[in-house]
Amino acid sequence: MIRGNTTNRSFTRLISAFAPYWLTLLFVVVPQIAHGDDAAATVDFDRQIAPLLAARCLDCHNATEQESGLDLSQSKTALAGGDSGEVLVPGSLDESLLWDYVSGDLMPPKKPLSDKEKALLKAWIESGAKWGRDPIDPFRFTTSARAGYDWWCLQPIAKPELPDASENPVDAFVRTKLKQRGLSPAPPADRRTLIRRLSFDLLGLPPTPEEVDAFIADKSPTAYEDLVERLLASPHYGERWARHWLDVARYGESQGFERDKLRDNFWAYRDWVVQAFNNDMPYDEFARLQLAGDILKPGDSSAIAATGFLVAGAYDEVGQKQQSAAMRAVVRQDELEDMVSVVGQSFLGLTVNCARCHDHKFDPISQAEYYRMTSALAGVRHGEREFQPNTLFDDYDQRLKSIQAALAELQDKRERLIAPIRQQLLARRHDEIKSITPPEPISEWLFDGDLRDSRGTLHGTAAGEAVVVDGRLVLDGEAAYVSTAPLDADLTVKTLEAWVSLPDLKQQGGGVLSLQTLDGNVFDAIVFGERQAGYWMAGSDHFRRTADFGGTKETAADDDFVHVAIVYREDGTIVGYRNGQPYGKSYQKPGPVAFPAGDSQVLFGLRHGSPGGNRLLNGSIDRARLYDRALSHAEIAASAGVKQLVIDDSEILAAADSHLRQQLDRIDFETDNLRSQLQRYRADKVYANVPDKADAVHVLRRGNPAQPADLVSAGGIAATGIATADFGLEADAPDADRRRELAEWITDPKNPLFARVIVNRVWHYHFGTGLVETPNDFGFNGGRPSHPELIDWLASDLIEQGWSLKHLHRTIVTSATYRQSSQFNSEAAAIDGDNRLLWRKAPMRLEAEDVRDAVLSVAGQLNPQIGGPGFYDFTTHVQNAQFYDMRDPVGASFNRRSLYRTWVRSGRSGFLDVFDCPDPSTKTPARAVTTTPLQALSMMNNSFVLRMSDHLAERLTKEFGDDPAAQIRGAARLAFGRRAADEEISAGTAFIKQHGLPAYCRVLFNSNEFLYVD
Amino acid sequence: MSINNLSPTRRDFLSWSTAGIGAVALTDLLARDGLVADEAGAAPQIIQHHPAAARRVIHIVLNGGLSQIDSFDHKPALEKWHGKPLDSEERPDVFFGKVGNLRQSDWQFAPRGESGLLVSNLFPHLAELADELTLIRSMTAETSNHTPATFQEHTGFRLNGFPVMGAWLSYGLGSESDDLPGFVVIPDTRGVPAGGSINWTNGFLPVRHQGTTLRSTGTAIDDLFPARPVSATTEQASRQLLETLNRRHLESREGNDELTARMRSYELAAKMQLAVPEVSALESETRHTQQMYGLGGKETNDFGRSCLLTRRLLERGVRFVQLFSGGAFGSPRINWDGHEDMVKNHTREATRIDQPVAALLRDLRQRGMLDDTLVLFTSEFGRTPFTQSDAGVLGKGRDHNQYGFTVWMAGGGLKHGTAYGATDEFGLRSVEDVATWHDFHATVLHLLGIDHERLTYYHNGIQRRITDVSGEVIDGVLS
Repeated sequence: MIRGNTTNRSFTRLISAFAPYWLTLLFVVVPQIAHGDDAAATVDFDRQIAPLLAARCLDCHNATEQESGLDLSQSKTALAGGDSGEVLVPGSLDESLLWDYVSGDLMPPKKPLSDKEKALLKAWIESGAKWGRDPIDPFRFTTSARAGYDWWCLQPIAKPELPDASENPVDAFVRTKLKQRGLSPAPPADRRTLIRRLSFDLLGLPPTPEEVDAFIADKSPTAYEDLVERLLASPHYGERWARHWLDVARYGESQGFERDKLRDNFWAYRDWVVQAFNNDMPYDEFARLQLAGDILKPGDSSAIAATGFLVAGAYDEVGQKQQSAAMRAVVRQDELEDMVSVVGQSFLGLTVNCARCHDHKFDPISQAEYYRMTSALAGVRHGEREFQPNTLFDDYDQRLKSIQAALAELQDKRERLIAPIRQQLLARRHDEIKSITPPEPISEWLFDGDLRDSRGTLHGTAAGEAVVVDGRLVLDGEAAYVSTAPLDADLTVKTLEAWVSLPDLKQQGGGVLSLQTLDGNVFDAIVFGERQAGYWMAGSDHFRRTADFGGTKETAADDDFVHVAIVYREDGTIVGYRNGQPYGKSYQKPGPVAFPAGDSQVLFGLRHGSPGGNRLLNGSIDRARLYDRALSHAEIAASAGVKQLVIDDSEILAAADSHLRQQLDRIDFETDNLRSQLQRYRADKVYANVPDKADAVHVLRRGNPAQPADLVSAGGIAATGIATADFGLEADAPDADRRRELAEWITDPKNPLFARVIVNRVWHYHFGTGLVETPNDFGFNGGRPSHPELIDWLASDLIEQGWSLKHLHRTIVTSATYRQSSQFNSEAAAIDGDNRLLWRKAPMRLEAEDVRDAVLSVAGQLNPQIGGPGFYDFTTHVQNAQFYDMRDPVGASFNRRSLYRTWVRSGRSGFLDVFDCPDPSTKTPARAVTTTPLQALSMMNNSFVLRMSDHLAERLTKEFGDDPAAQIRGAARLAFGRRAADEEISAGTAFIKQHGLPAYCRVLFNSNEFLYVD
Repeated sequence: MSINNLSPTRRDFLSWSTAGIGAVALTDLLARDGLVADEAGAAPQIIQHHPAAARRVIHIVLNGGLSQIDSFDHKPALEKWHGKPLDSEERPDVFFGKVGNLRQSDWQFAPRGESGLLVSNLFPHLAELADELTLIRSMTAETSNHTPATFQEHTGFRLNGFPVMGAWLSYGLGSESDDLPGFVVIPDTRGVPAGGSINWTNGFLPVRHQGTTLRSTGTAIDDLFPARPVSATTEQASRQLLETLNRRHLESREGNDELTARMRSYELAAKMQLAVPEVSALESETRHTQQMYGLGGKETNDFGRSCLLTRRLLERGVRFVQLFSGGAFGSPRINWDGHEDMVKNHTREATRIDQPVAALLRDLRQRGMLDDTLVLFTSEFGRTPFTQSDAGVLGKGRDHNQYGFTVWMAGGGLKHGTAYGATDEFGLRSVEDVATWHDFHATVLHLLGIDHERLTYYHNGIQRRITDVSGEVIDGVLS
């Protein structure tokens, strides 16, 4: 058995040594820099020299790297020297080669030591180069350049005493700080402001006018608390807070990189998060399931969905499949880094990923520890797993039924819209068919005993075992095919037609009737099942003129002859037929291609070119025809002997005016979307962690997979100072053990980071800024806590309250600090411009999704459906990679909250983007808030805003009648939650009379008051 | 996000950061977030660590992999070894794993201009401008997989989610135009490259630094005008009403800069509505100019329009234009990925861009703009000197080559008519003055007056740089 070198740093020492006085160590411990003559006396190896050597020398001269044979990390090796001999002679600068290099600026290369650093080193050598802790532990103390084990957030959480037990704890701590700076809080906000603030904060939606009225009229002393409870119990709460978590989790519904394939079955993770928030799942459980749900609750379908967290990032499909094993290893390391970083940052506020190539430059995380965490996640793989979507919903069947009902309604609507055109076309067709005689082909093969062309000169020659039996050409699918003499006239516009029977409906790729150039490079052909088993298609070179007809799957019995025809029209339209009726939908491609006389021929049974691969057909052809023109529907029907007629959709579209075409296009887009949702509801797969055997993990020198160093076993970050950071596992432990231990360590109530980080994250969303401004980074590079005791009090309280996040929300939003007004105070601003001390509640702009959701809500169009597969606001096509063309979809099923759009990495929504919606590939702990002209253009001009302006106008007219003053009053209540002022009514009335109500609504959506919350 | 923290990550960062940003003043940061500039309407301040040689950048991106040995890196040894296997102990690790026989260039090289720089007749028009070019013949990439390599070409990193060069420069230098975006993207008319907008993403920088796609035909920018007709009087009255409502709202909310900034953004938007159609009006150029760029030409029209639009954008103060030659991967090929048949592929692709790119260089030169413009002409990697075929077989296509390839720059601050670095005798590996993308990016930033180690942005624990933790300015290409 392999035993990894799990270094168990002295946890108990840390705890006992620092717990009592860590509060005084909140900020950087700056080493005393030696001055003048007394330098020798004051040099402290552990506090001054060790950090210096660690920061400037040990990257290259350590136990594993040993550049020039030198290891400066321990006294023995430092004194022994390197390839050039002795480097350090205590007490003698002249004999210390180290000093020569350093004082001559030869070392460290690139960036020599500062004068102060040199002075320190000089003093140390002169005073006898006394060593302290051995080997050097570079993380022992915080210095002016980095954090050590004594860093504030790594100390155990002790619940501080409340300064004033009679107050809300939040206020108690906040007021103390305000007082210290001579500041006082703003007055309480009024009830209108409060309900709008709370509604957007907890639900991401505006309150209705009725809710505003009720709250204002509520005389109960607990009116506010009751409101908080009502909102926390709303299922929309989970939607709002899930979106925050998805930012952190880098939730993307496509693979990213080159292919960016859709992750159709990833929505269940999103719904799991929504439900976890709504059910107030204890936060430790929430974390555990995302790290190891598949192990902890193997029988629980939703726990498997939870592991989507680990694989929510991009996946390099092409990179994983490339030929080069060396490059594949790099791709896998990149993937693991993505996971280590999301786990470290989201749950612990530690940027563990910065230690992939070397020890962390700023935080006490060694490179070996990075690889220990990598080892903990080494069994995690992207993929799809068995899943039962019905376990997510109580009303699963009802959901399917309502989609089916919506589909039926759309179909009805469509039928009603096209009925008049259909009737017209049918009548015309009946007239045509009566007068039509079957069309005349230029070539026809009856296979009555031979391969002759009974109309022209394209006589066939058999190859392989192609034989004519009982008036049919029989092809074995192995080597048999027939090729004809070259064409005697050019052929561009054309129709191919054949009667064929197939003994094997699973075969893929065989050609029935092909027209090709003699070299086989260009061809048009009737092909069976090549791209999709069971379906007919128009085969062509590089699929240039191929698209899915979307016809029905072939089911004909093996002795049944099916009539198949493909028409190539002048304008490039390609129409398929089966048994005389249109086969699916026609489509248009560049073309048609000209097949030159003398250089082209017909093939039977071979798709094109030379026989081989999947090109050969297994089946019989009864007869076949070739036409030098595009037959009409009626002619095809006549040729096939069909009397019943179907009108092809392309004919209807051709006959429709542009308005109707647009209506149909919207219906079709929504229909496709709902069908796809139905399919995804029924898919028994979820994109999640599909664990594989966890490899043994080595430290990689400079992060390079080609340079493995020490073997490590799975483990946590020792600087957290708790026993569970040592997983006690062998290096080859199974994945399940590694992740179980990982989850246990992270969620350990004694873990100093886990509770602090979530408390701060929640605070950040309520106030716009965290108590620590960098929610993903509590390290040296991150922000310092503005109210450290408050974080600790809230963290302790969270743990005591069983990790209930709703309890945490309650504590925060019922505080006077949260309920104060956003009124500006120039005196306070002069003292604390950033409002870190919370002398007011900072106003906030709506986030991108809230802008869209609020517009929908106010316009009365919001579809409140919670959960389920997302909608597509794009059309997509695959051309090696998957591409997304964004569109503004119209229809009730698209008017769901923005959370439910499909978050494709390369298919970003322009409308949401301008409002700072983040790139789904980045881990976003805090969104930026920018103000740009593109925002103004989007809000003024985007088709969505204009459409919703119409809907709001309709709503206002319906609810408040035709009087502009009444409409304006209603609009102000809906959009702003307040009464309209007189001058608003007079200005608005004049505007509405001249420019109409929709134009007025458009202005409201653009107003600052709509987009900002006080 | 609170209004107190207009650009929270950066502004807050200043209050607790200890490293890396000393040179940047707070006002400067706010200016580049459009706030101070919006308020005062003044030109935003820019980061300048040393005098800049160039003020603006055109990045011509050849997607798929341009073959260095068929264009800018002449290898006579290939003629001698044509049709023979690579005489090497180590079998090169290539993307599709097929190492066929060596193949000489299908194009002829000749010394060009006064410099005598060897350029092949794959680019006959560009070859005439050899004296303007600064070749780097020793480039290397970290991967031979298109998209990670492309990400690295643009962002320095192989992964999704990092800001591209244009976004970094928009962040560092802002725009000189207040009615056009600072960073404009013109995709190939045949389609966007794989990864779509990931190729011009802001990554973790504020969204305003994302590339704005400008089409050379049709609607130039999304949502520039109302999605349905709105009369001019209604439009005018709407803006007035909006102003009235916003002023009223502002009365009780003093000290809130973001509200006034947002009001000002509507004025800027109105200016954009005039500026964008104006810059897109290529018909207003003389016939001579249009012909020079190849407008109306069967192969050259598309890229000619893009190049002409690029020049017009630069003239109006746009900082960075990213111009794509090549769309998605796969079949049929619409980019430089000549796996099957190099002659067919590279002839087609080069014909589309050769005349337009040469015209752009000439035009910039004659207008006196080339001196302070930087033109970059790059491909995510090069191609192999042997063909992508079975061992012992001479094929027609070439596989990806990350080990050695050529890119070029032109414009201000460069040594013109020179080639820096070299590959081995076959053009497989860079062996002399080996350069990386980090070096390339460091050099681009240097030419724009920026120290690449000091253009940083805090994100999740790291002061991020486009050059990660390495990158050295390639002094050898500087004048």
